[in-house]
Amino acid sequence: MNEIKRNQSIGVPKPLVDGPEKVSGKALYSGDFVPKNCLVGRIMRSPVAHAEIINIDIIEAQKLPGVKVIITGDETDEPFGILPIARFEFPLARDKVRYRGEPIACVVAVDVETAQAAIDVIKFEYKELPGYFKSKEAMAEGAVNLHEHRPGNIEREVDFELGEVDAGLADSDFILEETFNCAEICQVQSEPHAAIAEFDVERQFMTVRASTQVPYYDHLMLAKVLKMDESKIRMIKPFVGGGFGCRTESLNITLICALAARAARGTVRIVASREETFITHRGRPETDIDMKIGVKKNGIITAVDYTAIQRGGAYSGYGVVTILYSGGLLFGMYDLQAVRYKGLRVLTNTPPPGAMRGHGITDVRYAFESLLDKIASQLNIDPIEIRRKNYLKGPNYETLNEMFINSYGLPECIDWVEKESGWKKRKGKLGKFKGLGVGCGHYISGASKPVNWTGEPHATVHLKLDWDSSITILTGAPEIGQGSSTMATQCAAEVLGLDMSRFQILTSDSKLTPKDNGAYSSRITYMVGNATIDAAKNLRNILIEAAAKKLDADPDDVECLGEFYTAGSQDEGLTFEEVVKAALEGTGTITVSGNFDTLPESWGTKKYRGGAISGSMAYAYAAQVVEVSIDPDTAAITVEKVWAAQDVGKALNPLSVEGQIEGSVWMGMGQAISEGTEYHEGLAITNSMLDYRVPTIVESPPIEVGIIETIDPNGPFGAKEAGETSLIAFIPAFTNAVADALGVRPLDLPVTPDKLMELIENKKE
Amino acid sequence: MKPSNFDYVKPKTLEETLTLLGDGGRDSVVLAGGQSLMPTLNMRLSAPDLLVDINGLDELSGVKLEGNQIRIGALTRHVEVENSSVIAENCPLIALAMPHIAHPAIRNRGTFGGSIALADPAAELPACICALGAKIEIVGPGGDRKIVAKDFFKDLYETDLKDGEIVTAVEIPVTSSKTKIAFDELSRRHGDYAMAGLAVNAIMEGKKIENISICFFAISATPVLAEGAAGILNNGILDDDSLGKAIQQLESDLDPLPDLYASRALKMHYAKELLKRNLESWMS
Repeated sequence: MNEIKRNQSIGVPKPLVDGPEKVSGKALYSGDFVPKNCLVGRIMRSPVAHAEIINIDIIEAQKLPGVKVIITGDETDEPFGILPIARFEFPLARDKVRYRGEPIACVVAVDVETAQAAIDVIKFEYKELPGYFKSKEAMAEGAVNLHEHRPGNIEREVDFELGEVDAGLADSDFILEETFNCAEICQVQSEPHAAIAEFDVERQFMTVRASTQVPYYDHLMLAKVLKMDESKIRMIKPFVGGGFGCRTESLNITLICALAARAARGTVRIVASREETFITHRGRPETDIDMKIGVKKNGIITAVDYTAIQRGGAYSGYGVVTILYSGGLLFGMYDLQAVRYKGLRVLTNTPPPGAMRGHGITDVRYAFESLLDKIASQLNIDPIEIRRKNYLKGPNYETLNEMFINSYGLPECIDWVEKESGWKKRKGKLGKFKGLGVGCGHYISGASKPVNWTGEPHATVHLKLDWDSSITILTGAPEIGQGSSTMATQCAAEVLGLDMSRFQILTSDSKLTPKDNGAYSSRITYMVGNATIDAAKNLRNILIEAAAKKLDADPDDVECLGEFYTAGSQDEGLTFEEVVKAALEGTGTITVSGNFDTLPESWGTKKYRGGAISGSMAYAYAAQVVEVSIDPDTAAITVEKVWAAQDVGKALNPLSVEGQIEGSVWMGMGQAISEGTEYHEGLAITNSMLDYRVPTIVESPPIEVGIIETIDPNGPFGAKEAGETSLIAFIPAFTNAVADALGVRPLDLPVTPDKLMELIENKKE
Repeated sequence: MKPSNFDYVKPKTLEETLTLLGDGGRDSVVLAGGQSLMPTLNMRLSAPDLLVDINGLDELSGVKLEGNQIRIGALTRHVEVENSSVIAENCPLIALAMPHIAHPAIRNRGTFGGSIALADPAAELPACICALGAKIEIVGPGGDRKIVAKDFFKDLYETDLKDGEIVTAVEIPVTSSKTKIAFDELSRRHGDYAMAGLAVNAIMEGKKIENISICFFAISATPVLAEGAAGILNNGILDDDSLGKAIQQLESDLDPLPDLYASRALKMHYAKELLKRNLESWMS
C-alpha cells in the first residue's frame, strides 16, 4: 500500500481544463447562440458628441417590413452603473447624448439589413452643445456641464496628504519634478461584445447570455433597468474571449439587448462590430501626471507630491475607483513616509474608460518609476540600488494608508532580474544606442471591500459529489480565458488528493452556480481559490467521517490518500469509490459549500474618503529589466529582450502563471510603444485593428520569466495576483531603457517615432 | 457591416467586360483580388451598383518576357510575381518590393493590376513602376492605349483611367548589367502601410550615375518622383557631396502629407534618411 500517493495538482504545470473546447472550436461564445426565431438587434448611435435630444422619430422606420420593434431612451428611466454612488448612465440616451457613438435607439428586426435600413430612416433631432474632448477643455471656466449634478465637469476630486510632505521636501537634498502624459488605450480583446436575451412572455422570465467578466453585476443591472425581480432573470456567461477589464461592469449592449427582447416579446441577439466594441470602450483613461519626488543624497525618498488628471469620458463607470487607485496604490511598493496626492476625474465628451488591467496605478507607477530612474542617474546611484534603499521594512509592514503587507517579494524579484540580465556587467556597456532599464510594479490580489457591499462572503463555492464518484465544482467565478476554472479544479483536487480528471466544473449560471462578484481586481485566485479549498476540506471531512464509520476507526486516525482512505498501515483500507458509497448512504447526492471572507484589517484606511480602495489581502510584486536598441536615424525602437520576475506568492499553475506574465509584458509593450486612441471632434478615428496598433508577434521580444514564491500567509496555498502586476512594471522598465540608450527620456506614452525623433533632434541642438 | 446591395457579373471575355463597364447608366466597379475593394464595400466606403468580376479573364494573368520588356498581366497575383524567376532575373526592384506588400495571405489573392489601379498612396508597386519608367496598358471603349506610369497617378486614389477603362498589363523595361536598384520602407508594425518608402532605379558606370529615378511613396497623395534630387545626381559621381545635395533637394521636391502616425516633419526626415542609407550603401 506504500506506493499509493496523493495526487499533486498544485505547483504542477497543468493545461487549461477548458482548453479542448477552445482548441477544437466547440466552445460556444455569446455570439454563437442563434436559437430558432431569433431576432437581430442593431443599435443606432449618436452622430454628435454633445447635444440635447429633441426628438427621435421612429414612425417611418417602424413601418418597414421585417422591423419588429424599435426602442429608445423611453424604454427605461432607470440608470445603471457599477458604483452605487455613480449610476447615471442610461442603456439608451434619454435627455442628452454625451459622446459620439452613444446608443440612442435599438431596432429589432428579422435581419441586420432590415435593421440597418430602419436606422437609416430614423430621424434624430437634436440641439448641439459644445463638445469637450480633453480634460482641460471640460474643466475650463464656462464649460457646459455634461451632467447637471457634476458642476465643473469634475466626476471626483481626491485630495489627501499622509505624513508631512512640505517638511519631507524641505528635508530632502534633491527634488525632481516632471510631467507625464499617458494616452488613452483599449484592451482589444479577441471577442467583440455580444449578448443574447430570451424573454419568455408566458412566464415573464428573462434569460441573458453575454460576454462579461461580471455576470452578477449584470444580473443586478438587468433587474434594475428592466424593473424586474432578480429571481425572474437568469444570467449566463458562456465562453468569453478575453476581458482585461473592459467587461468588469455592465455594458449597455447587454442591457439594451434585454430591453429589446422584452419589447419584442421574444429572443434578440446583438453582436457588436469591432468598431462598436472600441466605442463601448472601458479601457484606460488618458492621464496627465505632474509628480515631484524629494530624496536624500543617499537616495532615500523623503516625500512625494503629485497630481493625476484623468479624462474620464462621458460617464463615471469605474472612474471614481480609478482615480482613488491612482492615489492609494502609490503605497505598498517602497517605504514612503510623506505623500500628497490630488486626483481629478474629469467628465468629457468621449466614450467612458473603465478598469483596464493594472487598474488605476499603471500610469502613476510609470511616472514614479521614471522619475526615480532619473533621480538615480542624476545622483549617480545605480537604478537598482536606489530601489533597494527604499524597500519596505520587510513583510508585516503597514503603510501610511493602512495597507497590510504580509508577503513582500520585491527584493527577490529585483535580485532575479539583476542576475539574469547580467545587469552589473552589462549596464552602461552595451554600446551606442543600446540600453538597459529597470522598472517595478505591484498590484492587489482582489479588492477587500467589494463595490457592492452585501455582507455576504466574498466568495462561495459548491462541490457536488454524486453516486458516480465524480465531483462537480459549481462556481460563479467567470472563466474568461485567464484560467480560473483550472485554478479552482487544481485547488479542489489538491485538498482531496484526487486526480483532476475526477472533476467537472460549471461556472457562471445564476440558476445553478453560487453568486460570485466576478473576474476583476485579480480577486479570483485569492478569493475563489480559498473558498474552493474551504469547500474541499468540508467535503474531505465528510468522506473521512464516512470512511471512519465503515472502517470502524476514529476519524482522526483515517488518512486520506485521495484514491484511497486508510486507518493505519495494518488496515486494508477503502477505495475512493467505496468511501463515496458510504458517504452517500442515507443522504444521497451531497453538495458542500465553502466560503472566503477578507479580514477587516485589509479593508483600507479611513484617513481619507475612499480609502477602502487599494485595501487588499495581499500584494503581488514585479521587477523587470528591458533591453532595447534604437535606430537614431529613424527613432525605431526594438525591444531586444525582457527579464520579468513576479512574486506570485505561489505559482499554483506555473504554466498559466508564465503565460499571464508574458501576456502582461506584451500588453504593457503595446501601451509603451504604439497604442493610443485618437479622436477628431469626438469621432474616434482609431477604431479598427489596422489603425489601433497592437504589436504583432513579429514585434514581440523574447521574454524570460522568473517566478518568485513568497508563500503569502493567507493566500490559497500561498498564492497571490499573477495577471496584472507585470504589465505595470514593463512600461517604466522600457522607457528607462530608452533613456539609457539615448541619454534623453521620453515622458509621454506611447513612445512614437514622432515623439522620440523630436527628443533626439532637441538633444543634438 | 455588410455591403450595400449590388449586382454581380463574372464575364468570360475582355469584350464582355468592357461592355459591362461601358454601361454608363450604372456605377460599376472591377473586382480583381478584392483585397482593398472588399473591406471598402463592407465598411460602405463605396457602394457600387455592379461588381464586374474579372477573375475569369485568364488572358490578363501571367508574367512574360517579351524582348527587352517584361509584361505583367493585371490579374497576376502578387504571390506569382514574388515567386517568378523571370521577375527576379529581369526586374529585381519588383522582386525586392514584393515581400513588403502586406502579409502572405493578402499576396495570395491581391493582384498586380489591382494595386496599380487602386493607387493607394502608401502602396509599393505604383512607386516601383514609376521609378522603372514602366508603361501601363489600358483598354477601354475608346480602344487601347499606353501611358507612362508617372502620368497615370493623378491624386489620392485618382488615376488617369477614364470611365469604362481597365488596366490590362504593365510593361517594364528589363534590367541592364549597369542597373542599380534600391527598395526600402519604414513602417510602424510588421505588415503595416509604410510611413515612408523609397524605390530607386539607376544606370551606373562605376561611380558615375548616368541616369537615376528616385520615387517615394507614403509621402504624398501619389508616388512622387524626386526629379530635383535626380537631376543633381544624374551624370555625376555619387559621393558624399552629391548625395548630401540631393538629400537637401528633397526639401523642395517633396511636400509631405501628414497622417495619423507620422507628422510632416517625420515624413520628410524619413524620406531623407531612406535616400541617404540606400545610396550610401552603393558607395561602399
